[in-house]
Amino acid sequence: MSGFEKLLEQMRVDWDRRIAHDYRFWMSDGHANDQAMWESGARDFEIITAGLQPSSSQTMVDLGCGVGRLLKTASQNFGRVIGVDVSAEAIEKAREFLLSGPEALRNTELHVGNGSDLQPIPESSVDVLLSFAAISSIPTEVVGNYLREMHRVLKPDGVARLQLYLGLEQTVRREDTLHLRCYRREHLEEALRRAGLVLEGVTELVLPIQVSFKEIGIEAVIASVRRTDRQPMSAEEISAALLPDGEPIEGESTLGNDLEYWMTLNYARELAERGDLDRARETLEYAERVSHTTAVDVGDLMQRIVAKIGSSEGNGSKPASEVAKCNDNSSNPPVQIENSGAKQKLLTRFPNLQSRFSDSPSAAKIEVRNTEEGPVVIVDGVALDHASKPKSAARQWAKQAMGDVKYANCQELVIVGLGFGYHIEALRELGCDKPIHILEPHPEVVEAAGAGRPAAWIDMISSLDCGVDAAIPQGSTVLGGNAVLEIWTRAQTQAVASEFCAKIRSKFYGERGLSLLRPNIGVLGPLSGGTLPMVPYVCRSLYGLGQRFREYDVSGFASGYDQVSKFVQGKPRRSSVENTYCEMVSQVLLESINERPVDILICMALAPISPRVLTELRKRGVITVLWFVEDYTRFTYWKETAKFYDFVFTIQKGKCLDAMRAAGAGESHYLPVGCDPGIHAPLSLSTEEKERWGSPISFMGAGYHNRQQLFASFSDYPIKIWGTEWPTCRPFDHMVQEGGRRLSPAEYVKVFNASDININLHSSHERDGVDPFGDFLNPRTFELAASGVFQLVDHRSLLPEAFEVGTEMATFRSAEELREKLQYFTAHPEERAKIANASRERALKDHTYQARIRSMLSTIFSSRFEQLKARLDASPWQKVLARAKPHAELHSRCEKAFTRGEEPNLDGLVSDVVAGNGKLSETEQKLMFLFHVRKQIIRMKEEESGGKS
Amino acid sequence: MHGIHEQTGALKKRFPHKSNVLLVNITRLGDMLQATPTIAGLKAENPDCKVTVLVEKQFESVCHFIPNIDAVRCLDLGMTVRALAREQDGIIDAFEYVTEFVDELRKEKFDYCLNMSSSAYTALLLRLIGIDNNGGWTSDDEGNRVIESDWAKLFATSVFHQNRQLNSLNLVDVFRCSADVEAHPKQLLIKVESEASQVARDLIAEAQFTNTGPLIALQAGASQEKRQWSPRLFISLVRQLLDRTSARIVLTGTNKELSILQPIVDEVNNPNVFVAAGKTTIPQLAALLKECQLLVTGDTGTMHMAVAVGTPVVAMFLASAFGFETGPYSEGNIILQPVIGCGPCNPNKPCAGLECHDTISPDIVAELAVQRLAGEVHSVSSSIAPPEQVIVYRSFFDKYGFCDLQALNNPAVTELSRYRTAYRKLWLDDLGGYPELDLDAPTSAPSSLLKFATPAGEGLDQVVLGARHGQQLIQELLQLVGDAHSSASRLGEVNRAITDLDRQIEQIGYHVGGMGPLTRMFVFSKENLSGTDPRELASQMLNIYQALERRAHKLALALSQV
Repeated sequence: MSGFEKLLEQMRVDWDRRIAHDYRFWMSDGHANDQAMWESGARDFEIITAGLQPSSSQTMVDLGCGVGRLLKTASQNFGRVIGVDVSAEAIEKAREFLLSGPEALRNTELHVGNGSDLQPIPESSVDVLLSFAAISSIPTEVVGNYLREMHRVLKPDGVARLQLYLGLEQTVRREDTLHLRCYRREHLEEALRRAGLVLEGVTELVLPIQVSFKEIGIEAVIASVRRTDRQPMSAEEISAALLPDGEPIEGESTLGNDLEYWMTLNYARELAERGDLDRARETLEYAERVSHTTAVDVGDLMQRIVAKIGSSEGNGSKPASEVAKCNDNSSNPPVQIENSGAKQKLLTRFPNLQSRFSDSPSAAKIEVRNTEEGPVVIVDGVALDHASKPKSAARQWAKQAMGDVKYANCQELVIVGLGFGYHIEALRELGCDKPIHILEPHPEVVEAAGAGRPAAWIDMISSLDCGVDAAIPQGSTVLGGNAVLEIWTRAQTQAVASEFCAKIRSKFYGERGLSLLRPNIGVLGPLSGGTLPMVPYVCRSLYGLGQRFREYDVSGFASGYDQVSKFVQGKPRRSSVENTYCEMVSQVLLESINERPVDILICMALAPISPRVLTELRKRGVITVLWFVEDYTRFTYWKETAKFYDFVFTIQKGKCLDAMRAAGAGESHYLPVGCDPGIHAPLSLSTEEKERWGSPISFMGAGYHNRQQLFASFSDYPIKIWGTEWPTCRPFDHMVQEGGRRLSPAEYVKVFNASDININLHSSHERDGVDPFGDFLNPRTFELAASGVFQLVDHRSLLPEAFEVGTEMATFRSAEELREKLQYFTAHPEERAKIANASRERALKDHTYQARIRSMLSTIFSSRFEQLKARLDASPWQKVLARAKPHAELHSRCEKAFTRGEEPNLDGLVSDVVAGNGKLSETEQKLMFLFHVRKQIIRMKEEESGGKS
Repeated sequence: MHGIHEQTGALKKRFPHKSNVLLVNITRLGDMLQATPTIAGLKAENPDCKVTVLVEKQFESVCHFIPNIDAVRCLDLGMTVRALAREQDGIIDAFEYVTEFVDELRKEKFDYCLNMSSSAYTALLLRLIGIDNNGGWTSDDEGNRVIESDWAKLFATSVFHQNRQLNSLNLVDVFRCSADVEAHPKQLLIKVESEASQVARDLIAEAQFTNTGPLIALQAGASQEKRQWSPRLFISLVRQLLDRTSARIVLTGTNKELSILQPIVDEVNNPNVFVAAGKTTIPQLAALLKECQLLVTGDTGTMHMAVAVGTPVVAMFLASAFGFETGPYSEGNIILQPVIGCGPCNPNKPCAGLECHDTISPDIVAELAVQRLAGEVHSVSSSIAPPEQVIVYRSFFDKYGFCDLQALNNPAVTELSRYRTAYRKLWLDDLGGYPELDLDAPTSAPSSLLKFATPAGEGLDQVVLGARHGQQLIQELLQLVGDAHSSASRLGEVNRAITDLDRQIEQIGYHVGGMGPLTRMFVFSKENLSGTDPRELASQMLNIYQALERRAHKLALALSQV
């Protein structure tokens, strides 16, 4: 078989395998069910044929049709439809879908292609040729053939629409049939020219999921191609034009050739989390089959995932043990570990382990089994090294890892996962001379590793920490040192301690991101309402974290928005106008971002930003974030908008997070609101202030239904109620203060401080009084706590994890309990003070907005580190800073401007130089000189045209 | 070479001796020509002095035709602005260019600089170069613009839009005095090489005129559209000149102006109208103008060039142009200044009406051209040029060698013209040291408080009172500063009172006609206070209030003499 034939065979084998595994996953982004797949096919058909006028007299070919995702819709638009795919499995599946049964399509035919031509389609017979999500995975050598074939089958006026990637050239291994190839536009044009075709135009492909990666120069496009009269050149010449340097042969690249494996693993996890355990198992087995490495025992992985899902759900899914059986390949019996003083050696070398070992042991079941290459430690049934060939696998793993560019660029390594240390020894054997730090979730594994085999690895590492609180050593790069650190998480450890690994990863990339990535972060608030004051809290937090940020204060648009209801009363009409208004505000924001780009946009709940603009921003590579600080059951607009956000942070857990995910949010995470100690703080008030703002009991908040219900029955108490939307009738007329106006944060903190007892009752629209099912915590909880005042809060399910109920927070579950507690705490001021102090301490420790934003950024950074790093590297500031290096003061000024979030232009550099405000340095004088030169030239140009009437 | 006007020895000089001078004259050909008397004077008064001119790169070639320049330094503003427009590392390119440029200029060790460009960037550049003695604009440590000499302050005062009509000193003279130059040729200068003259003669030959009358240059285009006299009016003018003098008309200008000239050529359709526009370099244009007997122009650039080659001009000062300010700097030229409520207007504002253009008819211009061709014009009949519509002036030099304009068509004396004359006397006396006004002469001393019946008189009274109050406040300030036990709150009160007073004085200039230049000079002086020592500052402030009072008295005296 020639090299080229082997390549064709590789395509066929790869795609047959994938289709057999899961045709929806590998062929479509709508892989939840077949219906979703057909819907995505219809959508993509519309996109790729935009502007064409299909008719029943026309013949259409779909090159790389897969299981016929686009053909169903195509058959309704064209007279004759032909699907071609290299995978027999795919065509078979397509026949099943489209050509069998009573609804079989009569105008559609399907062919298994040989991968290099479009036989048996006759010459000059095709009006329209389409190819969606196919060409970019085809080896470039083969693409040349196909382009030549297109010229052959297309009618003289025939057109082709090809979905591919243009921009920065991305080459992959020659025989790779999965990674995306990206070509330079001029190369495509030349290749088409050589193929007797012509590129008529290119439009960007926009889908609900991210398909372009503009930050790294890759854009998904639809290329419109027309046949010309020119005779095509050879396929080799066409391919050579497309990719002048050709594709590398197998073996030249090391890591990254396991894309399929990693995609499958992620898919398996997703399936398992969804509860589809059978498919999860199949997928894992598939992953094991396609894995190019023996370093990971996939069977262990699956067992762990399945066990976890089984234990956590227990709601009708298959018991873990039952599912796990098929993977019980542990033929060797467990061995007893003899502790031969190795533990002592460990403690001498790493004294920090003393406290870790004395912590209460984890619940994990640890055992050790012997293999031909040495003992293997097994945690909850998962072997932490390869179950049968730990040494060989470790060596292969180390070889691959050391081939990675990240390894070359780092100075120290953090490896999450110790196992029995085979991988450490392998790294050293292969010549790795960088300091290695190990983090292991299970102290028992460390003990076993120290005792289970000759512990050569102990002297090969620089630090070791274990247990749930294990942390990256202080003093390293990310945590304040200077060394460039890289972190590797072992797949087996990831499987048995995913939360631990996620925490370490998040901490690592979060911290590293905070100091390294420096993205420009936009913060968009709502037009008005209770979330508005949070915007400055978020911005102050970003400032405190040394981040570059830009506040988009759109509250000035609120008055215009409010005007709408004056003119249009009918709800549908009003909503329509209001939406138009918000669309306009969105456009203002978009233009502002076009002028001064951001990398991340944090939208607070109810921020006026439309799906269109969110889509536009994502096309520009902006990471979109929604902090949904509302009750998701009450405000439901997220159902339509969540899918336009890469991250949704919510103040509720559980079903809320699931719902956001189901609605299409890229990621969803729990992130409660918090406090800003700069505002929410103990105050010393004057007598007049105490008189005005104070009372034995106070309530601050809007008059929601449940609050009215509850407080109506407390009119015999000395309560002052502050806030809007309260009735003016009795009994509220004596309780509600200052006409029920809205208080500013500075004012309501005075109320907090002037009151003996602050009641905090979460709002509910449906229930009377206390909502027994209330979960999230309102901002007031944290604000009152940080103000160092005593609050009585209604019980919420998420309260205990934020404050220790009893010592840090006093709660009530009913009106009756509120009465009792009011009576009790009125009589016990010292106890109030104690709780208030503890509450404040906890709030400052764990619940500041700065902590929240740090957590939010850590999550984003750990997930999008590479994307943000690529944006940073591509940022023009990098070039400016590098060029400014020889001029120390200019360089420092550039750094400052960069930190302020300025654009890399002169205005950004001089924005803080104010003439007349102190002596100007020479650098400042030079910059101001340039500033005025530009201003003068602009003025002169205006003056020259000044006489124009 | 033209003879240098002899020194009278009267001009007050700040830095009489200069050996290495930098003249900053960045961007305009006209400005450069207008600086030529100053440069020639510098050389005449300091024969060994080296004169370096700093210009924008595209004007470098112009400097080769300016006499008395020893060296030219070019600032490439175009490249700088393009680099800045590239943003990103373009800023670093621009920064490095400035650094290199400043370093080179520092090496020159200039002992004196005259920067008459009021731009902020030249001020900062001079600060960076660090020349000790300056006659014009520079910048202080904090980046604020500083105007070093009183003459330069007068320059700034005179071009302050509200004050323009109260000025009758040609800016060439103000510029010259800023540089302490008294000796000067009474005209602008440009070198006309023989090659350029030959090209000019060849052009004229190429024209193949059939007429044999005077060769008249006509500059129809203008630097600003609103100064552009209508081609329709030029057509009429050309016809009249052809009819009345058998003139040979040369239309000068640049390529860009061909679209204005073509309708004139087409409409007149006469072999004696020749388009030279776009066919000449700057020295060739100068040579061509030299060949002509007269230039009729609405544009000051070509006018200055004609003046420099000694060709008389009939010049229209339309829209924002003002003859006293930038009129032809030589004797015997004719200036037409429209009489109109809105003129001279602000150069930076567009105009939709252009009514001022209609105040000057082609008939008037043709008549004046014919008269000037016949010889010096010393009077013009008001029936030819109605003085309520347009004032016709003739340029001349006064006894101190300052250019002035003499009205030829008997316009009525107005408050404005009285003030203009009075201010001229004031500045020549007070800044120049020329004996125009003697406050000590028993017959001329004004009353201590000037009892004018007009609003302006009241304004002078207010200025004098303000200046005196200021001196009292400064005396108190000096006492408070000198007394270690003085009350801080009183010090604050006095400071506030001074600030309030200064604002009141400035406002008199806005509110009372005729007071603008007086108060603007005061404001510029206050703005240019330098130093941090309170006593030193107070002493400078005292001088400023004293100068204000003295000048108010002198102005009163001058007004009484007009």
